[in-house]
Amino acid sequence: MKNRLKVLRAERDWSQQDLAERVGVSRQSVNAIETGKYDPSLPLAFTIADVFGMAIEEIFLRE
Amino acid sequence: MNAKKATRKALLWGALFTLNMMLITLAHIFDLIEQPVPLILMAINFVLLVPMVRAARGAQEVKGAMSPALRNYNRRVLITMTLYMVAMIGGGNLYHRIEEGSPLLWLLAIAPLLPLMGMIWTMYRYYVEETDEYLRYRAVTGSLVGLMLVLVVGTVWGFLEMYGLVPHIWNWWVFPVWAIGLAIGTCWPRGDRLEAEG
Repeated sequence: MKNRLKVLRAERDWSQQDLAERVGVSRQSVNAIETGKYDPSLPLAFTIADVFGMAIEEIFLRE
Repeated sequence: MNAKKATRKALLWGALFTLNMMLITLAHIFDLIEQPVPLILMAINFVLLVPMVRAARGAQEVKGAMSPALRNYNRRVLITMTLYMVAMIGGGNLYHRIEEGSPLLWLLAIAPLLPLMGMIWTMYRYYVEETDEYLRYRAVTGSLVGLMLVLVVGTVWGFLEMYGLVPHIWNWWVFPVWAIGLAIGTCWPRGDRLEAEG
């Protein structure tokens, strides 16, 4: 699954650590999701969407 | 220290531990050393797991893979491992001084079992306490690799033993072999590009 996490972070000038703290996960988790190594669960995807104030489908895209 | 260096340090300690375990086991299997020497050597070898756990903890911190549940896990593993070493070294030294059939042997046998059960409880607590789903996924994957290793080694050895090709070995080998598989499965690189943080 593709995602726009890196771009969205850059727009807000957030590091992976910043996003991790906002979402409440480890930086490694953010990295794994961002690089497409790990697809988050639906609850985590909702949390990430809430942090960015966007809908899930605006962040996570189908291949 | 960067993430790669920190991980390599932990893996080196783990590899040294595994190599020593294999050498001791082979020396025992081929009758180069008699009990309780292998038992004591193995227990002493467990000391290597202390720097390994500490190095792994350092690597987890550097990689940003640390969580409160993981901190609890590392602390509990170090405590149970230390108790286990004390029980094993103590048991290995006392074993031949106690009369056969003595109820004291029960104490010697149970002493290392308690911290081992503690280690299993520690793992269970980690899976329950970990709220970071990616870290939990990694731990579960590691534990499945450990299980696969136990199944492969156990099945292969069992068949070889059945035909008298290899000697019988005590069943507690399952724990260290599973732990080695857990370490391999958890540390196996998944292509996480952690240096690409930005």
